[in-house]
Amino acid sequence: MRKFTCSICGYIYDEAEGVPADGILPRTKWEDLPDDWVCPMCGAPKAMFDELVTEITSEPLTIDKADNSSGEIRSLSFAEMSALCSNLSKGCEKQYKKEESDLFNQLAGYFKRKAGVSEGKEFNDIKDLIKNDLEASYPSANNVLADSRDRGALRAMVWGEKVTKILKTVLMRYDKNQNALLEDTNIHVCEICGFVYIGDEPPDRCPVCKVPKIKIAKVLRR
Amino acid sequence: MHAVRNGNLCTKDCLCLYVCPTGATDTETGQIDFEKCLSGCRLCVDACPSHAISLVPDEFPAQQEKSEAIVKALLELSESKTEQEKIAAAVEASTDDPVVRQLAKAISTSNRLMAEDLLREAGYMLPQSQNTRDFLQSLLELEQSDDFPKDVVEKLLKIL
Repeated sequence: MRKFTCSICGYIYDEAEGVPADGILPRTKWEDLPDDWVCPMCGAPKAMFDELVTEITSEPLTIDKADNSSGEIRSLSFAEMSALCSNLSKGCEKQYKKEESDLFNQLAGYFKRKAGVSEGKEFNDIKDLIKNDLEASYPSANNVLADSRDRGALRAMVWGEKVTKILKTVLMRYDKNQNALLEDTNIHVCEICGFVYIGDEPPDRCPVCKVPKIKIAKVLRR
Repeated sequence: MHAVRNGNLCTKDCLCLYVCPTGATDTETGQIDFEKCLSGCRLCVDACPSHAISLVPDEFPAQQEKSEAIVKALLELSESKTEQEKIAAAVEASTDDPVVRQLAKAISTSNRLMAEDLLREAGYMLPQSQNTRDFLQSLLELEQSDDFPKDVVEKLLKIL
Protein backbone atom coordinates (compact mmCIF):
# COMPACT_ATOMS: atom_id res chain seq x y z
CA MET A 1 0.00 0.00 0.00
CA ARG A 2 1.30 3.45 -0.94
CA LYS A 3 0.72 6.98 0.26
CA PHE A 4 0.33 10.18 -1.78
CA THR A 5 0.67 13.70 -0.49
CA CYS A 6 -1.01 16.87 -1.76
CA SER A 7 1.67 19.32 -2.88
CA ILE A 8 -0.59 22.21 -1.94
CA CYS A 9 -1.77 21.50 1.58
CA GLY A 10 0.08 18.39 2.72
CA TYR A 11 -3.01 16.15 2.98
CA ILE A 12 -1.97 12.49 2.76
CA TYR A 13 -4.00 9.93 0.84
CA ASP A 14 -3.25 6.51 2.30
CA GLU A 15 -4.34 3.60 0.06
CA ALA A 16 -4.68 1.41 3.14
CA GLU A 17 -7.21 3.77 4.68
CA GLY A 18 -9.09 5.26 1.72
CA VAL A 19 -11.52 8.08 2.60
CA PRO A 20 -14.49 6.23 4.07
CA ALA A 21 -16.35 9.49 4.76
CA ASP A 22 -16.41 10.16 1.00
CA GLY A 23 -17.27 6.57 0.07
CA ILE A 24 -13.71 5.61 -0.85
CA LEU A 25 -13.12 2.24 0.73
CA PRO A 26 -9.91 1.19 2.48
CA ARG A 27 -7.40 -0.47 0.12
CA THR A 28 -8.51 1.70 -2.84
CA LYS A 29 -5.46 2.10 -5.07
CA TRP A 30 -4.39 5.55 -6.24
CA GLU A 31 -4.99 4.67 -9.90
CA ASP A 32 -8.49 3.47 -9.03
CA LEU A 33 -9.52 6.84 -7.63
CA PRO A 34 -11.73 8.64 -10.17
CA ASP A 35 -9.94 11.14 -12.44
CA ASP A 36 -12.07 13.95 -11.06
CA TRP A 37 -11.23 13.11 -7.46
CA VAL A 38 -9.91 16.15 -5.62
CA CYS A 39 -8.04 16.66 -2.37
CA PRO A 40 -10.62 16.58 0.46
CA MET A 41 -8.69 19.29 2.26
CA CYS A 42 -8.04 21.92 -0.41
CA GLY A 43 -9.70 20.82 -3.64
CA ALA A 44 -6.47 20.22 -5.60
CA PRO A 45 -6.81 17.60 -8.39
CA LYS A 46 -4.94 14.30 -8.49
CA ALA A 47 -2.19 15.78 -10.66
CA MET A 48 -1.09 17.90 -7.70
CA PHE A 49 -0.27 14.81 -5.60
CA ASP A 50 3.15 13.19 -5.31
CA GLU A 51 3.87 9.72 -4.07
CA LEU A 52 5.40 9.73 -0.61
CA VAL A 53 8.82 8.18 -0.80
CA THR A 54 11.19 7.87 2.10
CA GLU A 55 14.32 8.84 0.22
CA ILE A 56 14.52 12.22 -1.46
CA THR A 57 16.40 11.86 -4.71
CA SER A 58 15.60 15.09 -6.53
CA GLU A 59 18.55 17.17 -7.65
CA PRO A 60 18.70 20.79 -6.55
CA LEU A 61 17.72 23.23 -9.26
CA THR A 62 20.61 25.02 -10.87
CA ILE A 63 19.34 28.16 -12.46
CA ASP A 64 21.49 31.04 -13.55
CA LYS A 65 21.15 33.82 -11.04
CA ALA A 66 22.59 36.51 -13.28
CA ASP A 67 19.14 37.65 -14.43
CA ASN A 68 18.16 38.87 -11.02
CA SER A 69 21.39 40.46 -9.95
CA SER A 70 22.20 42.94 -12.67
CA GLY A 71 20.87 46.41 -13.30
CA GLU A 72 18.93 48.79 -11.11
CA ILE A 73 15.79 47.98 -9.18
CA ARG A 74 12.93 49.22 -11.35
CA SER A 75 10.27 51.59 -10.11
CA LEU A 76 6.81 50.32 -9.20
CA SER A 77 3.82 50.32 -11.56
CA PHE A 78 0.52 51.98 -10.60
CA ALA A 79 -0.97 48.56 -9.88
CA GLU A 80 1.95 47.73 -7.59
CA MET A 81 1.71 51.09 -5.83
CA SER A 82 -1.94 50.31 -5.21
CA ALA A 83 -1.10 46.93 -3.69
CA LEU A 84 1.70 48.52 -1.66
CA CYS A 85 -0.71 51.12 -0.25
CA SER A 86 -3.53 48.66 0.45
CA ASN A 87 -1.05 46.55 2.37
CA LEU A 88 0.28 49.53 4.33
CA SER A 89 -3.34 50.32 5.14
CA LYS A 90 -3.67 46.86 6.67
CA GLY A 91 -0.43 47.45 8.56
CA CYS A 92 -1.96 50.57 10.12
CA GLU A 93 -5.24 48.82 10.83
CA LYS A 94 -3.38 46.12 12.77
CA GLN A 95 -1.87 48.85 14.94
CA TYR A 96 -5.36 50.34 15.42
CA LYS A 97 -4.30 53.45 13.49
CA LYS A 98 -7.58 54.14 11.75
CA GLU A 99 -6.84 57.54 10.24
CA GLU A 100 -3.56 56.36 8.69
CA SER A 101 -5.27 53.21 7.47
CA ASP A 102 -8.01 55.22 5.72
CA LEU A 103 -5.46 57.53 4.10
CA PHE A 104 -3.44 54.63 2.68
CA ASN A 105 -6.69 53.14 1.40
CA GLN A 106 -7.49 56.37 -0.42
CA LEU A 107 -4.07 56.26 -2.05
CA ALA A 108 -4.57 52.59 -2.97
CA GLY A 109 -7.86 53.51 -4.62
CA TYR A 110 -6.26 56.34 -6.55
CA PHE A 111 -3.49 54.13 -7.92
CA LYS A 112 -5.97 51.37 -8.72
CA ARG A 113 -7.95 53.78 -10.88
CA LYS A 114 -4.70 54.91 -12.53
CA ALA A 115 -3.72 51.29 -13.21
CA GLY A 116 -7.05 50.50 -14.88
CA VAL A 117 -7.87 46.98 -16.05
CA SER A 118 -6.29 44.90 -18.83
CA GLU A 119 -9.14 45.21 -21.27
CA GLY A 120 -9.77 42.58 -23.90
CA LYS A 121 -7.90 39.92 -21.96
CA GLU A 122 -9.42 36.73 -20.57
CA PHE A 123 -8.80 33.83 -18.21
CA ASN A 124 -6.49 32.18 -20.76
CA ASP A 125 -4.11 35.13 -20.47
CA ILE A 126 -3.97 34.56 -16.71
CA LYS A 127 -3.10 30.92 -17.35
CA ASP A 128 -0.12 32.00 -19.48
CA LEU A 129 1.17 34.22 -16.68
CA ILE A 130 0.66 31.46 -14.11
CA LYS A 131 2.63 29.07 -16.31
CA ASN A 132 5.51 31.52 -16.45
CA ASP A 133 5.31 32.13 -12.68
CA LEU A 134 5.49 28.42 -11.92
CA GLU A 135 8.04 27.45 -14.53
CA ALA A 136 10.36 30.44 -14.40
CA SER A 137 9.76 33.12 -11.76
CA TYR A 138 9.28 30.95 -8.66
CA PRO A 139 12.15 28.56 -9.43
CA SER A 140 14.44 31.50 -10.14
CA ALA A 141 13.34 33.36 -6.98
CA ASN A 142 13.71 30.21 -4.88
CA ASN A 143 17.20 29.84 -6.26
CA VAL A 144 18.12 33.38 -5.24
CA LEU A 145 16.61 32.79 -1.80
CA ALA A 146 18.31 29.45 -1.23
CA ASP A 147 21.56 31.17 -0.23
CA SER A 148 19.93 33.81 1.94
CA ARG A 149 18.65 33.87 5.48
CA ASP A 150 15.57 35.83 4.50
CA ARG A 151 12.86 33.66 6.00
CA GLY A 152 10.17 36.27 5.33
CA ALA A 153 10.76 36.32 1.60
CA LEU A 154 11.07 32.54 1.58
CA ARG A 155 7.71 32.27 3.34
CA ALA A 156 6.11 34.56 0.76
CA MET A 157 7.51 32.27 -1.97
CA VAL A 158 6.17 29.10 -0.35
CA TRP A 159 2.69 30.52 0.21
CA GLY A 160 2.56 32.30 -3.16
CA GLU A 161 3.69 29.27 -5.12
CA LYS A 162 1.04 27.11 -3.47
CA VAL A 163 -1.70 29.66 -4.08
CA THR A 164 -0.56 30.03 -7.70
CA LYS A 165 -0.81 26.26 -8.18
CA ILE A 166 -4.30 26.37 -6.66
CA LEU A 167 -5.31 29.14 -9.10
CA LYS A 168 -3.94 27.04 -11.94
CA THR A 169 -6.11 24.10 -10.90
CA VAL A 170 -9.16 26.32 -10.35
CA LEU A 171 -8.84 27.58 -13.94
CA MET A 172 -8.27 24.02 -15.23
CA ARG A 173 -11.39 22.87 -13.41
CA TYR A 174 -13.33 25.85 -14.77
CA ASP A 175 -12.28 24.97 -18.33
CA LYS A 176 -13.66 21.51 -17.85
CA ASN A 177 -16.85 22.18 -15.88
CA GLN A 178 -17.61 25.80 -16.82
CA ASN A 179 -20.20 27.45 -14.56
CA ALA A 180 -21.24 24.09 -13.10
CA LEU A 181 -18.02 24.30 -11.08
CA LEU A 182 -19.50 27.08 -8.93
CA GLU A 183 -23.24 27.19 -9.55
CA ASP A 184 -24.31 25.00 -6.63
CA THR A 185 -21.55 25.85 -4.22
CA ASN A 186 -19.40 28.71 -2.93
CA ILE A 187 -15.96 30.12 -3.60
CA HIS A 188 -13.82 31.48 -0.78
CA VAL A 189 -10.55 33.43 -0.59
CA CYS A 190 -8.21 33.41 2.40
CA GLU A 191 -7.76 37.07 3.34
CA ILE A 192 -4.24 36.40 4.56
CA CYS A 193 -2.53 34.45 1.76
CA GLY A 194 -5.01 34.42 -1.16
CA PHE A 195 -5.76 30.67 -1.03
CA VAL A 196 -8.90 29.95 -3.09
CA TYR A 197 -11.32 27.21 -2.07
CA ILE A 198 -14.36 25.96 -3.95
CA GLY A 199 -16.90 24.21 -1.73
CA ASP A 200 -19.87 24.85 0.53
CA GLU A 201 -17.82 25.59 3.66
CA PRO A 202 -14.13 26.52 3.85
CA PRO A 203 -11.74 24.23 5.75
CA ASP A 204 -11.26 24.92 9.49
CA ARG A 205 -7.80 26.29 8.78
CA CYS A 206 -6.29 27.62 5.60
CA PRO A 207 -4.14 24.77 4.24
CA VAL A 208 -1.54 27.25 2.97
CA CYS A 209 -1.03 29.80 5.78
CA LYS A 210 -2.89 27.93 8.58
CA VAL A 211 -5.06 30.86 9.64
CA PRO A 212 -8.43 29.85 11.20
CA LYS A 213 -11.42 29.93 8.88
CA ILE A 214 -12.77 33.18 10.31
CA LYS A 215 -10.26 34.80 7.89
CA ILE A 216 -11.41 32.81 4.85
CA ALA A 217 -14.07 34.95 3.19
CA LYS A 218 -16.86 33.86 0.87
CA VAL A 219 -16.88 35.71 -2.46
CA LEU A 220 -20.43 36.90 -3.08
CA ARG A 221 -22.22 36.24 -6.38
CA ARG A 222 -23.80 39.41 -7.71
CA MET B 1 2.77 51.02 24.47
CA HIS B 2 -0.98 51.38 24.71
CA ALA B 3 -3.66 48.78 25.28
CA VAL B 4 -6.13 47.76 22.57
CA ARG B 5 -9.11 45.47 22.74
CA ASN B 6 -9.86 42.83 20.10
CA GLY B 7 -13.63 42.96 19.76
CA ASN B 8 -13.76 39.46 18.29
CA LEU B 9 -12.32 37.99 21.47
CA CYS B 10 -13.83 40.26 24.15
CA THR B 11 -16.56 38.44 26.11
CA LYS B 12 -17.39 41.41 28.33
CA ASP B 13 -15.96 39.93 31.49
CA CYS B 14 -15.22 43.51 32.57
CA LEU B 15 -12.09 42.73 34.60
CA CYS B 16 -10.36 45.47 32.58
CA LEU B 17 -12.82 47.98 34.00
CA TYR B 18 -12.09 46.85 37.54
CA VAL B 19 -8.31 47.11 37.28
CA CYS B 20 -7.84 50.21 35.11
CA PRO B 21 -6.53 53.06 37.29
CA THR B 22 -7.67 55.77 34.84
CA GLY B 23 -10.97 54.50 33.50
CA ALA B 24 -9.48 54.20 30.00
CA THR B 25 -11.07 50.81 29.39
CA ASP B 26 -14.64 51.95 30.14
CA THR B 27 -15.80 53.54 26.88
CA GLU B 28 -18.95 53.46 24.78
CA THR B 29 -16.99 52.75 21.59
CA GLY B 30 -15.76 49.26 22.52
CA GLN B 31 -12.19 50.46 22.18
CA ILE B 32 -9.79 51.57 24.92
CA ASP B 33 -9.26 55.32 25.22
CA PHE B 34 -5.70 55.94 24.02
CA GLU B 35 -5.58 59.35 25.63
CA LYS B 36 -6.28 58.01 29.11
CA CYS B 37 -4.33 54.75 28.82
CA LEU B 38 -1.05 54.69 30.79
CA SER B 39 1.77 53.59 28.51
CA GLY B 40 3.03 50.12 29.37
CA CYS B 41 0.76 49.69 32.44
CA ARG B 42 -0.71 46.38 31.18
CA LEU B 43 -2.95 45.73 34.23
CA CYS B 44 -5.93 45.12 31.92
CA VAL B 45 -3.87 42.90 29.62
CA ASP B 46 -3.01 40.55 32.47
CA ALA B 47 -6.47 40.66 34.04
CA CYS B 48 -8.47 39.83 30.90
CA PRO B 49 -9.63 36.19 31.10
CA SER B 50 -10.38 36.12 27.33
CA HIS B 51 -6.94 37.39 26.28
CA ALA B 52 -8.71 40.08 24.28
CA ILE B 53 -6.39 42.95 25.23
CA SER B 54 -2.84 43.50 24.04
CA LEU B 55 -0.32 46.31 23.93
CA VAL B 56 0.51 48.00 20.64
CA PRO B 57 4.14 49.17 20.53
CA ASP B 58 4.87 52.78 19.67
CA GLU B 59 8.18 51.97 18.03
CA PHE B 60 9.33 49.10 15.88
CA PRO B 61 12.75 47.90 14.77
CA ALA B 62 13.66 48.25 11.09
CA GLN B 63 12.57 45.42 8.82
CA GLN B 64 15.17 42.76 8.04
CA GLU B 65 17.44 44.12 5.34
CA LYS B 66 16.63 42.98 1.81
CA SER B 67 19.26 42.18 -0.78
CA GLU B 68 18.91 43.69 -4.24
CA ALA B 69 18.69 40.25 -5.86
CA ILE B 70 15.81 39.26 -3.58
CA VAL B 71 13.94 42.51 -4.17
CA LYS B 72 14.24 41.96 -7.93
CA ALA B 73 13.00 38.40 -7.69
CA LEU B 74 10.01 39.56 -5.62
CA LEU B 75 9.22 42.41 -8.02
CA GLU B 76 9.28 40.07 -11.01
CA LEU B 77 6.47 38.16 -9.33
CA SER B 78 4.57 41.24 -8.13
CA GLU B 79 4.49 42.46 -11.73
CA SER B 80 2.89 39.19 -12.82
CA LYS B 81 0.41 39.08 -9.92
CA THR B 82 -0.77 42.66 -10.47
CA GLU B 83 -1.21 41.96 -14.18
CA GLN B 84 -3.29 38.88 -13.34
CA GLU B 85 -5.35 41.02 -10.99
CA LYS B 86 -5.96 43.52 -13.82
CA ILE B 87 -6.94 40.79 -16.28
CA ALA B 88 -9.38 39.26 -13.79
CA ALA B 89 -10.78 42.75 -13.12
CA ALA B 90 -11.29 43.21 -16.88
CA VAL B 91 -13.14 39.90 -17.10
CA GLU B 92 -15.25 40.87 -14.09
CA ALA B 93 -16.16 44.22 -15.65
CA SER B 94 -16.99 42.88 -19.10
CA THR B 95 -19.34 39.99 -18.35
CA ASP B 96 -23.04 39.80 -17.51
CA ASP B 97 -22.67 36.33 -16.06
CA PRO B 98 -22.73 36.48 -12.22
CA VAL B 99 -20.86 33.18 -11.89
CA VAL B 100 -18.01 34.37 -14.12
CA ARG B 101 -17.94 37.64 -12.20
CA GLN B 102 -17.69 35.73 -8.94
CA LEU B 103 -14.80 33.60 -10.19
CA ALA B 104 -13.02 36.66 -11.61
CA LYS B 105 -13.45 38.49 -8.32
CA ALA B 106 -11.93 35.56 -6.40
CA ILE B 107 -8.95 35.48 -8.79
CA SER B 108 -8.34 39.24 -8.66
CA THR B 109 -8.59 39.25 -4.86
CA SER B 110 -6.19 36.34 -4.56
CA ASN B 111 -3.65 38.04 -6.82
CA ARG B 112 -3.95 41.33 -4.94
CA LEU B 113 -3.16 39.51 -1.69
CA MET B 114 -0.12 37.81 -3.21
CA ALA B 115 1.12 41.12 -4.65
CA GLU B 116 0.70 42.78 -1.24
CA ASP B 117 2.71 40.02 0.40
CA LEU B 118 5.50 40.24 -2.19
CA LEU B 119 5.79 44.01 -1.78
CA ARG B 120 5.75 43.71 2.00
CA GLU B 121 8.69 41.32 1.77
CA ALA B 122 10.42 43.62 -0.71
CA GLY B 123 10.99 46.07 2.16
CA TYR B 124 7.64 47.75 2.79
CA MET B 125 6.40 45.84 5.82
CA LEU B 126 6.07 48.74 8.24
CA PRO B 127 4.01 51.86 7.57
CA GLN B 128 6.38 53.82 9.84
CA SER B 129 9.56 52.66 8.10
CA GLN B 130 12.04 54.84 6.26
CA ASN B 131 11.26 52.90 3.07
CA THR B 132 7.59 53.86 3.32
CA ARG B 133 8.51 57.49 4.00
CA ASP B 134 10.87 57.51 1.01
CA PHE B 135 8.12 56.04 -1.15
CA LEU B 136 5.62 58.70 -0.05
CA GLN B 137 8.21 61.47 -0.48
CA SER B 138 9.01 60.24 -4.00
CA LEU B 139 5.33 60.55 -4.91
CA LEU B 140 5.47 64.25 -4.04
CA GLU B 141 8.61 64.76 -6.08
CA LEU B 142 7.32 63.03 -9.22
CA GLU B 143 5.13 64.78 -11.70
CA GLN B 144 1.58 63.63 -10.98
CA SER B 145 -1.74 64.20 -12.71
CA ASP B 146 -4.25 66.79 -11.49
CA ASP B 147 -6.35 64.33 -9.51
CA PHE B 148 -3.36 63.12 -7.46
CA PRO B 149 -4.34 63.32 -3.76
CA LYS B 150 -1.30 65.30 -2.68
CA ASP B 151 -2.95 66.27 0.61
CA VAL B 152 -3.35 62.59 1.55
CA VAL B 153 0.36 61.94 1.06
CA GLU B 154 1.35 65.05 2.97
CA LYS B 155 -0.94 64.17 5.82
CA LEU B 156 0.50 60.64 6.03
CA LEU B 157 4.07 61.96 6.09
CA LYS B 158 3.05 64.24 8.94
CA ILE B 159 1.23 61.76 11.20
CA LEU B 160 3.06 58.46 10.58
